[in-house]
Amino acid sequence: MKNQQIKIMSHLVAGYPSLAESEKIALAMAGAGVSYIEIQIPFSDPVADGPTIAAANRHALDRGTSVNDCFELMTRLKERVSIPLLFMSYYNILFRHGVDAFCARAAAAGCWGLIVPDIPFDEEPGNGYLAACAKWGLNPILVISPITPPDRLRAIGEMAKGFVYCVSGFGITGQERNVSDETRDYLARVRQHISQPLALGFGISSQDQIVAAAEVADIVVIGSKIINLYNQGSETEGLKNISDFLQIS
Amino acid sequence: MLTEKLMNVETGYFGEFGGRYVPEMLVPIMDALRDAFVRYYQDEEFLAELAHLNETYIGRPTPLYFCQNLTTRLGGARIYLKNEGLCHTGAHKINHCLGQALIAKRMGKKRVIAETGAGQHGLATAAVCAKLGMECVVYMGAKDYERQRPNVFWMERLGATVMEVKEGGQILRDAINAALRDQLTNPTDTHYLLGTVCGPHPYPVMNTYFQSVVGREVKAQIMKQAGKYPDYLVACVGGGSNAMGLFYEFLDDESVKMVGVEAGGEGIEEDSRKCRHAARMQSGYPGVSEGFKSLFLQNDDGQIKDTSSVSAGLDYSGVGPQMVYLRDIGRVRFTYAFDDEVLAAYDLVARSEGVFPALESAHACVEVIKMAPQLSRDEIIVFNCSGRGDKDLFIVAPRLAKDNFAAFLRKKVDELGR
Repeated sequence: MKNQQIKIMSHLVAGYPSLAESEKIALAMAGAGVSYIEIQIPFSDPVADGPTIAAANRHALDRGTSVNDCFELMTRLKERVSIPLLFMSYYNILFRHGVDAFCARAAAAGCWGLIVPDIPFDEEPGNGYLAACAKWGLNPILVISPITPPDRLRAIGEMAKGFVYCVSGFGITGQERNVSDETRDYLARVRQHISQPLALGFGISSQDQIVAAAEVADIVVIGSKIINLYNQGSETEGLKNISDFLQIS
Repeated sequence: MLTEKLMNVETGYFGEFGGRYVPEMLVPIMDALRDAFVRYYQDEEFLAELAHLNETYIGRPTPLYFCQNLTTRLGGARIYLKNEGLCHTGAHKINHCLGQALIAKRMGKKRVIAETGAGQHGLATAAVCAKLGMECVVYMGAKDYERQRPNVFWMERLGATVMEVKEGGQILRDAINAALRDQLTNPTDTHYLLGTVCGPHPYPVMNTYFQSVVGREVKAQIMKQAGKYPDYLVACVGGGSNAMGLFYEFLDDESVKMVGVEAGGEGIEEDSRKCRHAARMQSGYPGVSEGFKSLFLQNDDGQIKDTSSVSAGLDYSGVGPQMVYLRDIGRVRFTYAFDDEVLAAYDLVARSEGVFPALESAHACVEVIKMAPQLSRDEIIVFNCSGRGDKDLFIVAPRLAKDNFAAFLRKKVDELGR
């Protein structure tokens, strides 16, 4: 099976459409053989997300999803799946809870790594975020883009743990992009500076794209496509859609 | 020196607030913008063009006007009004729009995007883009789009595309988020012309620099008219651009006291999702959103709350980082004005002086009206009338002249239907 070789990280928004469904979606993903699951803690102002994921954030908050709910979801999932589970959110969620306290709780819940797109690695002197991740044994997944200059790539290569998340093209999540020569060149350029595995994300929406992306990247990220799959048909059909899509045959 | 601290072009921090908390792909863009700003604000040719257009396009200097009737009526401090409403396009916003657009043009940007609340920043952006031949897209929350429809019309006439943002609370904050998303999608050819002293570095310092012309003019004008510096400066605070404009040049003169007025809305009350006000200094907590660290109205989970105000321009859950720093060191006192007080002040200033303040600026008027009687005739208050109030026709008329206005609208609709 190809998906034995292709590593996939699939994404969900905790609380979309409900916490109980999020749990089922995560289990369906794990059952389909993905290598990582990215659990987004919903935020009121998700600037790096496209319309689909932004709307799911809003929906989850309208239903009253709290950060505590997300920790509990992580704890429950950790008991049932063995693959690495990550939290994705925005820096204010960590900042408001206290970055150290948040990281401690995430680690206690069984979280493997954090993706926080709006805290550049060099923003805060003595970067409390990276220090807290190190202290609690979490992998801080750093994000780069095609216009990240070489000096920043080198610095990120030195600090990154787990893998590095490469945005596949300009733009926010959910827009279609082919795996082009440009992307190929981009990842080749990144590999000159970064030795960690590379995850390629933002905008992958077909199985063909997954196969193509897997030729150049170590991990393929599936984001807003999951929500679109879930929303096609009934709840049971949605889960099956996700499961079918992630089992690349 | 406080003026140096607030012009921190190196890191964009003011105490613990400020910074540039943006996704990695925006970091090179913000760094390039900072470098361009640092280069041009010390460049003689750039400054000469800015000064020339400030005079011939915007209409600077704007008048500093002694409100004799209001002063007599209130019976205390002498009240002066800095009339930024007489700027081209009707508000102080064009000061930083012109400055930023001139930089963007020199950086080779072809397209300009902006967010707007009341529409004044969008209108000013559309005007300078028309003048400089740049494509212009303005994001506006759907609620603001409805309540500031005349400005939508004018922006479109100036050739701008106005995008109605239907996400979130459909106000200024959602427009900022939409503009940031656009910048993420179009990082190289597009300049995000952010409209206040918020957002990631370098916007707070850059907009403070371009707005500081207001206080510089006031310094010269008040010396000429009154022979002394003001005792008090008063300005409304949404993001803080007009307040920084008035305050900045006086920051190192300790005898000049400063007051910022936030939107008290319908009362300083809130639940876990929504505030009935936009008074960040009253119940905001430190946070990081929209690219900067400051005070935000937010719940215990770090979710930013929706806000409420009669004035779209003050209806924002965050506030400029320099403002928070100035409060923390005790340099600026903050208070708030309720919607009904604002409408009463709007009327009073109009009838006393023949000047319509924008609803935003009328928040400053509320505080001036409260302060003046407590002070002596030797003391001077200067307040920033940051914009003119005719843009607020569709908000003010239904509240202050409902029947006449409704009859007029019905007649116009009938005429159009024919």
